Amino acid sequence: MKLQNRYSALIIILILEIAAVLFVYNDAFLYETTVAKVVSVENSFSHQEEGPDGEEEAYYDQLLTVKLLNGSDKGDVITLNNTYTSSGVNDERYYKGSQLLIALNDSGDGGSILEKKRDMYVALFFAMFVFLMAAVSGKHGMVVMVSFIINLVLLLVALKIYDQYGNLIRVTMAVMIIFSILTLMFAGGLHRKTWVAVISTLITILLCLVIYMVTMRTSERIPYEMMDYIVNPKDLADLFLAGTLMGSLGAVMDVCISISAGVSEVVEKTSGITLKALISSIREMGYDIMGTMINVLFFTYLSGTIPILVIKIKNGYTLYHLVKFQLVFETICFLIGAIGIVLAIPVSGFFSLLFFGNIKGRRFADNDITQSSDTNVKEAKG
Amino acid sequence: MIIKLVIILFFLMLFVGGDRGLTSFFTLVRTVIAFIVNVYLIAWGLPAVPVTLIVCVFLIAGVIYGQNGWNAKMHGAAVSAATVVVLIMITIGPILNRAGISGYNEIEQYEEISMYLSADLSVSMASVAVSATVLGVLGAVMDTAVAVSTAVNEVYVNNPHFDKKILVDSGFAVGKDILGTTVNTLLFAGFGESIMLANLFLKNENTFSEIINSKALFQEVAALFVAVMGCLVVIPLASVVTPWFLVRVRDDET
Repeated sequence: MKLQNRYSALIIILILEIAAVLFVYNDAFLYETTVAKVVSVENSFSHQEEGPDGEEEAYYDQLLTVKLLNGSDKGDVITLNNTYTSSGVNDERYYKGSQLLIALNDSGDGGSILEKKRDMYVALFFAMFVFLMAAVSGKHGMVVMVSFIINLVLLLVALKIYDQYGNLIRVTMAVMIIFSILTLMFAGGLHRKTWVAVISTLITILLCLVIYMVTMRTSERIPYEMMDYIVNPKDLADLFLAGTLMGSLGAVMDVCISISAGVSEVVEKTSGITLKALISSIREMGYDIMGTMINVLFFTYLSGTIPILVIKIKNGYTLYHLVKFQLVFETICFLIGAIGIVLAIPVSGFFSLLFFGNIKGRRFADNDITQSSDTNVKEAKG
Repeated sequence: MIIKLVIILFFLMLFVGGDRGLTSFFTLVRTVIAFIVNVYLIAWGLPAVPVTLIVCVFLIAGVIYGQNGWNAKMHGAAVSAATVVVLIMITIGPILNRAGISGYNEIEQYEEISMYLSADLSVSMASVAVSATVLGVLGAVMDTAVAVSTAVNEVYVNNPHFDKKILVDSGFAVGKDILGTTVNTLLFAGFGESIMLANLFLKNENTFSEIINSKALFQEVAALFVAVMGCLVVIPLASVVTPWFLVRVRDDET
């Protein structure tokens, strides 16, 4: 019965998602910009140009016949021109069926391509994400989803506040405290281990901040002006720091909740465990987490730089230059995150011992009350 | 600054992790080297997707077997991680290509640096983008696969008479627990990375339609979601594959 419920829930989610993606695919009527769909494409070879190392780059012309999907001229068929190259560094190739955002010229028989319409792909990825989450992880997955959406909204609100009132670092600190309380609460419930995780997360992040500050002050200046997406050259240092700490936060929380949950489990299961045995089990958990988590962060940060690295190497830049001016940001983000992961092990271990160790039940009686009320809630639900 | 941070990281890993911390550190060094080799091979004109596949196999072998030894539970993890990599290349690759994810995005196009870099490279940026996405997934997928396989193996060692079905179920159960935290790690790393972009969109007061259709946003969103999806797919896969390897060893012995 329960299994059947789950399958029918999944099927309902799937149907809703297909409907939503189809809607986004056909949402041209919502746009003020002209949307057009490519009906047919004629590609023709144009010419060759020589690259920096004597490569031969082929240029192609595209004659696109497109049908307008919205506006007063809806249904009209016009032709547009486009050029693409075999490497496609700086241009776009369009296919039959692609939807484009275009700016019509005054006479309405031609125009220029502004952008590919990508909203359906964003919707598609989001839909696949939600479905897999529900399929693999069920209710728990939905909780993670909700916490994700709340965090995303919070981040945008925080940036908006910063935009209006300034002082990014203070805003970031406030947001990170809220993030960690919310996320860990969603992950662990109103349990004592959650609070241990929150405290150790915040202290670890604080230590990361100190390490960042000390190494930054004693080293040569980071070339902030080489960053991507610069708006205002004045706040680059602050923005970079905010991004670095925010990026480490997830990994640090992960380690802290794993350790504190692990210690709480061990203390509950084994009565009269010695301090020494507890410390060695914390170290054991630490080993397991450390290596793989650092790998995760490495790939997450660095893989995004592959395209620009390839472009720059082709243009004759040396590895030294690349590390110094291109990779420096991702590398610092990654290293601070990795240091955070390693630091989080002793920090959360220490706080877990403090809260779950032999002083258990005496000094933190009030926490036991929250714990028991938590079990009450669980019983009521079950 | 990078060198100082590397030294701090090295001593922290040594201090907290001891010998195994050292092993992890050198695994990381290997990973970095493999990453750089991957980039240079592509830049020298070798086809990006096959190169990345080979580098992935090397990385999976190096990280999974290098850190955890050559045994049945790690076969489960390695096979499922490799399968997910191939799956992503086949299914997500064409979608990304269709959606136009490669090359400079509309913001980078107007940045100074792209003006004087030659774009005539005869390296297909579309396949480079697939390569970048796959490598971005790899870390999280390996992490999840190892965690599931280890847990299944733990159950198996304690209850060697269990049949495959129970082991598979336990893999799923553990997968659910890991999932939340791994997803958080990926999400916050994504937040940290896209804070510059989000700030730019807010300051420039772009319209919603400009933002949602932009290549810049899609590059960030795709990298994040594909990584999460990789984790999600590897959980059931590792839960099914690992018991198969474990039970096969047992059946061979009896």
